[in-house]
Amino acid sequence: MARARALADAWDARGEGSAVPAYASVVVRFDPLRLAPADAETTVLRLAKTLDHVASESGREIEIPTYYDGPDLVETAERSGVSVELLIALHSGRVYRAFFLGFLPGFAYCGVLDPAIVAPRLLRPRERVPAGSVAVADGQTSVYPFDSPGGWRLIGRTDVRVFDSRRDSPALIRPGDRVRFVAR
Amino acid sequence: MMQIVATGLRATIQDRGRFGHLREGVPPSGPADPYAFAAAQALVGNDPGAAAIEIVGGAFTFHCESPRIVTVTGRDVALRGRDLVPGWTAAFARSGEVFTVVGGERSRFAYLAVSGGIATEPILGSRSAFLPAGIGRPLRAGEALPLGNARVDAERAGLSAPSPDYDTGQIRAITGPHAQRFTDEAETLFFRSDFLVEPASDRMGTRLSGPRIGAREGEILTCGVVAGAVQIPSGGAPIVLLAEHQATGGYPVIATVISADLGLVAQRLPGERLRFARVDRGLAIAALRDARAALEVIA
Repeated sequence: MARARALADAWDARGEGSAVPAYASVVVRFDPLRLAPADAETTVLRLAKTLDHVASESGREIEIPTYYDGPDLVETAERSGVSVELLIALHSGRVYRAFFLGFLPGFAYCGVLDPAIVAPRLLRPRERVPAGSVAVADGQTSVYPFDSPGGWRLIGRTDVRVFDSRRDSPALIRPGDRVRFVAR
Repeated sequence: MMQIVATGLRATIQDRGRFGHLREGVPPSGPADPYAFAAAQALVGNDPGAAAIEIVGGAFTFHCESPRIVTVTGRDVALRGRDLVPGWTAAFARSGEVFTVVGGERSRFAYLAVSGGIATEPILGSRSAFLPAGIGRPLRAGEALPLGNARVDAERAGLSAPSPDYDTGQIRAITGPHAQRFTDEAETLFFRSDFLVEPASDRMGTRLSGPRIGAREGEILTCGVVAGAVQIPSGGAPIVLLAEHQATGGYPVIATVISADLGLVAQRLPGERLRFARVDRGLAIAALRDARAALEVIA
């Protein structure tokens, strides 16, 4: 993933268009009338070769103060066969890596969860998840930046604004950051 | 300044889009019909990066305090001033002259461009509204928008740009990045079937119903997506991503609508049908070149 980000950075630096890295892929944008697709491909492959040894990055450490009182907290603990206290301890006891952002502005896919509390998405997504909800699904965790529909399990909430378009760096959590949830 | 008298159902400011913050999960936004938007800017003599107004459910009524060139583009649209100005045609707007964007029965997204462009303060490098994140907001009757300075080139009045054939349901698409996730039968079904546009379609995507397109077992790793990508969620009902698509997606993409035809998808009305025709990458690029050339003549 660090390599995908490094490749995206290298593409962005060329000024042909923006790149979007994810787990194991990079989407590169360019104008096909200015840069032939075959040339873009050659360039990407060449850039990828120079990135064989990407130093594993440290990222910044972000703390998310969390009130563990979400509507799915009890059910998620029950289906995992753990107590609510243990679920909270396991969720807040790890430092997660922010893999990438997507779904909504500032929505960071962070992981991975302790295997003991891994649970799938809800079968029926909610039509409205409140902004600030701390959620888990499929081994990952995140904070909803806005009121929005959503299918992750809500285990808590935070007052921290994870996205604010008025900030210079609007997303609080950036790809590569280390994220910790602190029980309040 | 441009004085807004009435807004229609929903009107927002859009420029080409916000491509600098995709990595922070910010959708590109911008016009749902990029070609109609670009044509409107070219007709009034604006830079392609200028901002215009996207209108859903006309009648949007306005006047400008200084003389301007104005136009409206989109499907089944016109501009009513003292006379009726057809869509895709530039008109001269005298100071204070009142115009209304009128949409016909088949109208969906209309683009109103004014020479000088809408000069609101950019947010994160773009003037495009993205309402779900509180970036920009719907325009309101009674408000005034700043316009950029522009020399008024009265000779532009009457100039017109070619409108695409919005009534065709034929949408050209190239093979998608996850084509191997689909059987030959599923792909054939996809390219041979009629799909119906669902009412839940919006600026984020056009939702289709029709024969169920099944993907092979297993998930794909979430990856970046682009406008035009045709996602197949587990239910098998395709979604064509449009301007407000999420930066990343976790559904397999069976095909990608060519850039030149994005507007044909966006402008399809709920209840209308469409069908995908497979083309190769060379044709997709040639179609984009033709579309841009048609606008360069008038820019």
